[in-house]
Amino acid sequence: MSNSEKLRHALASGIHRIGEIEIQTLASNAGFKLRHAADMTGGGGAAGAVLTIHTGPAAARDIASYAEDGSYRFLKAQCNLRRGWVMLLGSVADLRLALDQFYPACVGLWLAQRAGDLEVEHLRGKLQRQSGMYHRVRALSDAALQSMVPRICSPAIPCARRLLWQIDADTPLQPSAASRCSGIAEGIAADEAIPLLCREACNHFVAECLAAAKAAAAPQAD
Amino acid sequence: MLTMLPQSAKRPAAASPFSCLFGAPTSALQSANFQPHSPAPCPRPPCLATSRHFAMPIAPKPNSALLIVGHGSTQNPDSSTPYFEHADEIRSRRLFAEVHCCFWKEEPSMREAVYLIDRDEIYVVPDFISEGYFTQEVIPRELQLSGPTSVVGGKTFHYCLPVGVHPSMTGLILRRARQVAPDADPAATTLIITGHGTGFNQNSTKAIRDQVALIAASDAGYAAVLDAFMEEQPFIADWDKLSPTPNVVVVPFFISDGLHSYQDIPVLLGIETEVGPAASQREVFRHNPHTLRGKSLYYSSAIGTERLIADVILDQVHDFDLTHKAST
Repeated sequence: MSNSEKLRHALASGIHRIGEIEIQTLASNAGFKLRHAADMTGGGGAAGAVLTIHTGPAAARDIASYAEDGSYRFLKAQCNLRRGWVMLLGSVADLRLALDQFYPACVGLWLAQRAGDLEVEHLRGKLQRQSGMYHRVRALSDAALQSMVPRICSPAIPCARRLLWQIDADTPLQPSAASRCSGIAEGIAADEAIPLLCREACNHFVAECLAAAKAAAAPQAD
Repeated sequence: MLTMLPQSAKRPAAASPFSCLFGAPTSALQSANFQPHSPAPCPRPPCLATSRHFAMPIAPKPNSALLIVGHGSTQNPDSSTPYFEHADEIRSRRLFAEVHCCFWKEEPSMREAVYLIDRDEIYVVPDFISEGYFTQEVIPRELQLSGPTSVVGGKTFHYCLPVGVHPSMTGLILRRARQVAPDADPAATTLIITGHGTGFNQNSTKAIRDQVALIAASDAGYAAVLDAFMEEQPFIADWDKLSPTPNVVVVPFFISDGLHSYQDIPVLLGIETEVGPAASQREVFRHNPHTLRGKSLYYSSAIGTERLIADVILDQVHDFDLTHKAST
């Protein structure tokens, strides 16, 4: 069964949320409707304003790329998805295209996890395979890495994915808001949502590791 | 007409540390076993006066996926736009069952990409301008590729050459040069193809020098065709001293209009006095020609923003099949 078919079955079984997006399966095989969950209740922000209707997945990338204030959302699981839109999608294939723009690969990661096929790469392994100028990140201590996780992987800003990785197989992450993030919006039951999963540290995290490694190696100012 | 020896003719080709592993040519242009799929190979550098793009129709692959790999950026939202546009263009042609993008700096990552894809056969095309560190080391490592064809996690990956080394790029460069300077007589014009340039990997400049050699030896008619770089001689900052003509066309050999092509290089050219915000992109390109240093300067957007790069991606898939699957 393809991932699209698996997604269709999941929606039929009651899944209706991914990240900040509400997924509605339309009656009579009319397709799917996506919108920001906060635009369902009409409270605050863009609520009350006329929602812009997009037909097809083409607008998903633009919506996902810029926050309300115009800032660039290079991590798509930031909790600042723009409001004020509705997206109508005629097929599950278009639904997947749209969701893969809003939350890249997250449907596939979740389906793989459910099937027991998701491979998790711990942080030390991720850093060990870096090369070029990034090879310096290998030298960071566990303590330094532990201190970075709550700062860089905060579920509020910038990223609300559920961290599946540890420092290494024997070293779990220290408890923090980041390590406790479920990948599912508050108030939504686990069997109603596709969680946003993080199977290995992203390259933004690696870039922050490089900055930390450089800072650690820099001569101390008097 | 002033004829200049291409810079690349003077420089030895750099060896590819990955070529022995992959059995792939360092450059399509120098490979003995690489067969460009342009119609009727020319006995001399191709006739480029018509700027014909030599895209061959590719047979539909309804059981295969196409994975376009790009660099991406955490700073510049425009950086990944061309990759998605190339994917959209190819997706619209319904040649592959699936078309996806993945990135080094953005999401989805290369390691996440496999979770996007249903099909078991995947063509991987680096949407990079040259061979080098990323195409020879980072992408194979991240996708866990061990050769031109690799089986990873039950899926078969075919690793194609990057778009920038394909001979059909030459036509796109000339097309872009004429678009940006439609009224400039080539006989009174120097065409400069510019890139980053770095000592880290000589292959990163080789693709540019190959294109310069092809165009300079063709009948495109430019008085001079030059390579120039941001951080390597000949420097793009010296464009006016390098160019013997009153008109100069500069085409950035990058995939996207990222920080280099519309923020850094405009400063080196003298178009801008300081590095501006990304939003300055349109202004940089709309004000052609720029009258600077006694010459008329035409500055193009990055070659990778050309939508026909989608055809070059398909060319690389086609060539992969010719080179690696012909006997299977």
